[in-house]
Amino acid sequence: MENRAINNIKLGVFVSGGLLFLVVLLYMIGANRSLFGATYILKARFENVQGLVSGNNVRFSGIQAGTVKNIQILNDTVIEVVMVVDKKMQAIIRSNALVSIGTDGLVGNKVVNIVPSKVSAALAKEGAILLVKRAVSPDEMLQTLYTTNNDIAVIAANLKMTVQRINSSTAIWTLLSDPYIPKDIKLSIAKIHEATSKAASITNNLDKMIDEVKNGKGLLGKLMTNDTVANKFGNIVLKINSVGEQVDALAGEIRGLVNHFNQDVKAGKGPFNSLLRDSLLSMKLSNSLDNIQQGTEGFNQNMAAIKHSFLLRGYFKKMRKRAQKNIDK
Amino acid sequence: MVTSYSSSLKIFLREAGDIARFTRRFFSQWFRPRYEIAELLRQCFVIGYQSLPLVGLTAFILGLVLTIQLRPSMEDYGVAAQLPAIVGIAIIREIGPVIVALIFAGKIGSSIGAELGSMKVTEQIDAMEVSGTNPFKYLVVTRVLAATLMLPILVLLGDCVSLYGSWIGVNIRGNTSFYLFWTQVFNNITFSDVLPAFIKSYFFGFAVGVIGSYKGFKSNKGTEGVGRSANSAVVVSSVVIFIIDLLAVQVTDVLGLN
Repeated sequence: MENRAINNIKLGVFVSGGLLFLVVLLYMIGANRSLFGATYILKARFENVQGLVSGNNVRFSGIQAGTVKNIQILNDTVIEVVMVVDKKMQAIIRSNALVSIGTDGLVGNKVVNIVPSKVSAALAKEGAILLVKRAVSPDEMLQTLYTTNNDIAVIAANLKMTVQRINSSTAIWTLLSDPYIPKDIKLSIAKIHEATSKAASITNNLDKMIDEVKNGKGLLGKLMTNDTVANKFGNIVLKINSVGEQVDALAGEIRGLVNHFNQDVKAGKGPFNSLLRDSLLSMKLSNSLDNIQQGTEGFNQNMAAIKHSFLLRGYFKKMRKRAQKNIDK
Repeated sequence: MVTSYSSSLKIFLREAGDIARFTRRFFSQWFRPRYEIAELLRQCFVIGYQSLPLVGLTAFILGLVLTIQLRPSMEDYGVAAQLPAIVGIAIIREIGPVIVALIFAGKIGSSIGAELGSMKVTEQIDAMEVSGTNPFKYLVVTRVLAATLMLPILVLLGDCVSLYGSWIGVNIRGNTSFYLFWTQVFNNITFSDVLPAFIKSYFFGFAVGVIGSYKGFKSNKGTEGVGRSANSAVVVSSVVIFIIDLLAVQVTDVLGLN
């Protein structure tokens, strides 16, 4: 009798264990399908649901938030997806959140992804229709991949041709095997470096000059920043302009005079003509100049004799002393 | 040759008809008083509780081996992370119920067939009738009900142990926490995975109980007949389990539960 009671207890534990596992299993599945706890409805309208079915998961930023309740065709281009979402998410999901259909992994089940928008908006209410973000379908990805593959094939063919040309070219290999080219390149680079340094230095100097001009230093700076200097400079320019005009007038007069002389010379009249063309006058002038020179030399000798005469020697000594004092001062 | 096939077909059809009649007799008697509750509980203990070690060991090895053998293929496809989900669905939906039912048929079907067969050949059943006890109600109804009620429990516990074995299998060459493993399993199974498997295990248990009892109850030709009853109980039960499984898949498919 006692043995039977123990067996019954063991049987009870056994059955309870099995049923407990069943209950846990059903509860976990139900919890994942949002069957337990409060929920609310959100909707989204798509052109194409890409194989989404009732029971697929709904995720908010990657977190399980609910499941797809049902899918209704509203018309030939609009399909409405009704989602059962955990009530706790009502304080998080906003009316401008974007809904898209994705895949769980590369080959997994379809999922509805709800992504929050960066712009703030009111919270989504019961039955709200959320905005739809068009997701890239695997077909489109494969199509793009196909185009990319074709492009890569063309690029590879061109690259192959280029490499073949390089391999068959003796000029390139000669260049590559020339031991002087690397040295020249190094030198060129060094010179480029030097030129760059100089250019940098020039740029710095220019910067300094510009700074000085901006700060009103130097003539240009003062001209640009100081009104008085600028006015004076303007007056100088005006005076130079005036002098230029006078020079122009003088040049005109000289030109007229020269023309007049030319006309006289050509006509064989006037003093210049006589000077240039009359040989007798030239000879007389030459003799006169010789006589003046002889007279001057005689005058110089007379003056030296006067300096040494006892009557005027004192006067000339005073003159020399005064001149010496002026030099010393 | 044709005569041989014809006689085999006749035997098969007669056997099927006898089993159907035996089943009808069960349904006509199981809810009528007097209820053999004590015997039912004893049979539940023997059929259910005492089968747990064998079922548990088998299920554990099943989960472990299935996981280890699936891993290379999953890795080839780059979906090794989905191993818990796939093994979980496979065990809960199909492999768990069928394998546990086959083990159950081997242990309990043969046991019922041999036990009732030996009682039949030693005329204990006739003696019970003479003493006023309804042998069908006492021996058959209790065993069939016990088998029907206990197999689903064994399947559930077998699934649990098998998934534990699978977790160990996953961790032989990986590092998946116990919590993550069960989360992945629960996230990927649905009611349509659990409920058809659970319901069909009742039919498996019923089939094993009815066929084992029928074979034992109809046993004859002495001790040789007992052995034959035990043997044929296992063979027929196993075949019927697969037939029921096939029908269950078709029904769930028609109901849109696949």
